[in-house]
Amino acid sequence: MRRRKGLFTQAGLIALSALMLLPFYWVIKTAITNENIYAYPPRLLPHHPHLFNFVDVWYLIPFPRYLLNSLIVSLLVVGANVAFNAMAGYALSKEFPGKGAVLGLLLSSMLVPFQATIIPAYLITAKLGLINSYLGLAFPLLSTIVCIFIFKASFEAVPHSLIDAARVDGLAEWRIIVRILMPLSKAAIATNVILAFIWSWNAFLWPLIITREPAMQTLPLGLARFLSYLEDTTGALYAFAVMVLAPSIFLFLMAQKEFMAGLSSGATKG
Amino acid sequence: MRWKDFIGSRWVIAALAIGIAVGAWNGYIALNDGGLVEGRVVDGGGRPVPGATVILLERNFVMHSERQRTRTDAAGRFRFAGNDNHSLRVEAESEALGRSELREVRLWFRAQNVSLAEPLRFAGRLP
Repeated sequence: MRRRKGLFTQAGLIALSALMLLPFYWVIKTAITNENIYAYPPRLLPHHPHLFNFVDVWYLIPFPRYLLNSLIVSLLVVGANVAFNAMAGYALSKEFPGKGAVLGLLLSSMLVPFQATIIPAYLITAKLGLINSYLGLAFPLLSTIVCIFIFKASFEAVPHSLIDAARVDGLAEWRIIVRILMPLSKAAIATNVILAFIWSWNAFLWPLIITREPAMQTLPLGLARFLSYLEDTTGALYAFAVMVLAPSIFLFLMAQKEFMAGLSSGATKG
Repeated sequence: MRWKDFIGSRWVIAALAIGIAVGAWNGYIALNDGGLVEGRVVDGGGRPVPGATVILLERNFVMHSERQRTRTDAAGRFRFAGNDNHSLRVEAESEALGRSELREVRLWFRAQNVSLAEPLRFAGRLP
């Protein structure tokens, strides 16, 4: 009886997963055909599939340039997030006067949407002379509060005796982070990497206002440009969307185990 | 032991696999990007059409525009050199037979050498 119930649960979950994957399937199906997405009745299986829409995307716009720009910015963001967030997370895992106020300030900052702070962010970036540069593109995402808290939770789960022992052995604070805490926080690192990468990879508004020339544009801006040029080529447009999405999905699939562990670390005591 | 773990990790294996695939693909492109487009022109009965004009059109963002034209030899063969596009159309015309079908030729990369598997075919027959 229990086995049958388990089978029903599995079947239900599989059906639900298939339903959630249907939009992705539709995007890929449209990318490998030139079918009209509004055609009725809709065709479930692709008719005469081919990959030439991807070739069109590669050559009709400077896709390799956009890809390189997105990769450079995302690598900057990921590297900075892991470094800065680990340092901030370590500081917040300690007791110090005013810690509650700092935590409150950080949490309340999360309530303010980026669109509300984009003008000050732009002015600061301009003052620093980072307009139309890779560092400028990465600037607002170099440290993110959610990821600081993920590191904080992960570091708090490490036994204090381990850190005390390292300190007795003469390790400096930054070496405690690098040599003791980071190797024990792989899940938090993976979560930081994935979230920072996806946020940076998908960023649209900030690159839109910070770039001055097409050679500095990233993939989401390229997608908008492509849409404005070729609004009738549904297949190529969806192929572009697949090419933009693929690195994020690949990264998530590679690190999903650590990502899940990272999100749930600190959720339970002990 | 540590470096063995590092080499055997899925991150390194995936990066290596991607690197090898990209390298192999670029090697293949380097060996096959001569920009040659060749094929044959036949009449409705399958006989070669000598002296037909063959026109090569290339995709110019949203439309195709003429790039080159050439004539078929005695065996009905034609050859274009110097193509640097990835999306082409080829058609033949002859005073006696009119226009052939307009053939779409999609390439996997710019300037790919291509030989049309099926000849361009006129509807009519040579006398």
